[in-house]
Amino acid sequence: MVSIQPDTRLERLAAAAAHPLAELLDCPQDAGRLLSGETKCVDFEPGATVFRQQGPCKGLYVVVSGDFVRKAERFDMRVTLGSARPGDLVELAAALGDGHHTYTLNAVTYGSLLLMPIEALHRSFETYPPLRMRLLEELAREVSRAYITCCLTRVTPARRHSNAAASA
Amino acid sequence: MPEGHLRYTSVSLLSPNGIRMATLHSHHPPEDCLNCEHRHLRMFCNLTPEALADYDQIGIMMSHARGAKLFTEGDPARNVFVICFGQVKISSTSRDGKTMILKIAGPGDVMGLSAVLANVPHEVTAEAIEPCQVKTVRKQEFIEFLGRHGIASMHAAQSLSGEYLTVFHDAKRLALSGSAAGRLARLLLDWGRTSANTKPEIRFTMALTHEEIANMAGTSRETVTRLLNQFRRDQWITIKGTSLTILKPDLLERLTA
Repeated sequence: MVSIQPDTRLERLAAAAAHPLAELLDCPQDAGRLLSGETKCVDFEPGATVFRQQGPCKGLYVVVSGDFVRKAERFDMRVTLGSARPGDLVELAAALGDGHHTYTLNAVTYGSLLLMPIEALHRSFETYPPLRMRLLEELAREVSRAYITCCLTRVTPARRHSNAAASA
Repeated sequence: MPEGHLRYTSVSLLSPNGIRMATLHSHHPPEDCLNCEHRHLRMFCNLTPEALADYDQIGIMMSHARGAKLFTEGDPARNVFVICFGQVKISSTSRDGKTMILKIAGPGDVMGLSAVLANVPHEVTAEAIEPCQVKTVRKQEFIEFLGRHGIASMHAAQSLSGEYLTVFHDAKRLALSGSAAGRLARLLLDWGRTSANTKPEIRFTMALTHEEIANMAGTSRETVTRLLNQFRRDQWITIKGTSLTILKPDLLERLTA
């Protein structure tokens, strides 16, 4: 069996790097004006929750300043997905998909986010459909990075020989 | 059918050593997308009539035998695969040749989507663990289809967000549960709860071998066999053929803490 070397994975990680925000949101003047006219800036204090998993998605967020952390839960499990930093697009999946947040976003430091309301975003998609595809491609790159990162940082658990099940 | 679309009628694909890898059926073949009675249950295929008619016109249905590889990690991503029925193992190989099974994809799941849209090689390997039927759509055809139908791109986004969370949940399952028993218990509970949905009985079909379960739980085949026997003796689970029922979810839960 041919195994995939870490160097190859690092190259693949680079190939799936996030594209610049200006490139992703670049659109003709009328669609751009619609988006920028509706966009709001919202400030958060450390520990504040920006949105909750499964909650309704108000729109697409862009981090302007500060650090934010993304957390997800499933059944009784909670997992930290990573941080969001200035320039990052946040919650593409919800804004493009069913309108419900896939994770919870909390502020770690004082920070602010730009919020492009979902209605304005959808009107922009109608005015300029390539915008939706460009953002969908960015979401795909995010998923691709998650796969590769997961494989790169895989923790191989130690094999245990104790009768853990029996003693529980 | 538009120019350039695939038009196969029951053609067998052979590997270089002559083993039959898959059989391609004609485009309307015993079951097409328009008449599929399951599509309203499946996230991606549940489209508007207009989008569905278009979706039905693209790609081909392929039947795969158990063990057939749909795509391999590192290969160029040329197609998107939508499972109609059957189960497919999604795995990755570490540098020392060990296999990590990330998830078991089932009917309605879309495979290869992130690699196709991100324009990168496949991040994982997909292998049929039972006979399955898969709708296979060429990369460009699929991208153009998403561009034509907003609902399809919405469903694609949902599919991608589901994949995104699965990756992290699997990493957490491997990294954070201390014992092999805990990781196996977590796996059984995940499968059981997903399969049971709102039904009181936690029962599911276990299509994986003990070796494959070991690859998912980050342990050895022997340990999986021993622990399943232990769970069964303690009457926490019952196993009949490939059907596994969880009788004491709370006790399994305790192992995962």
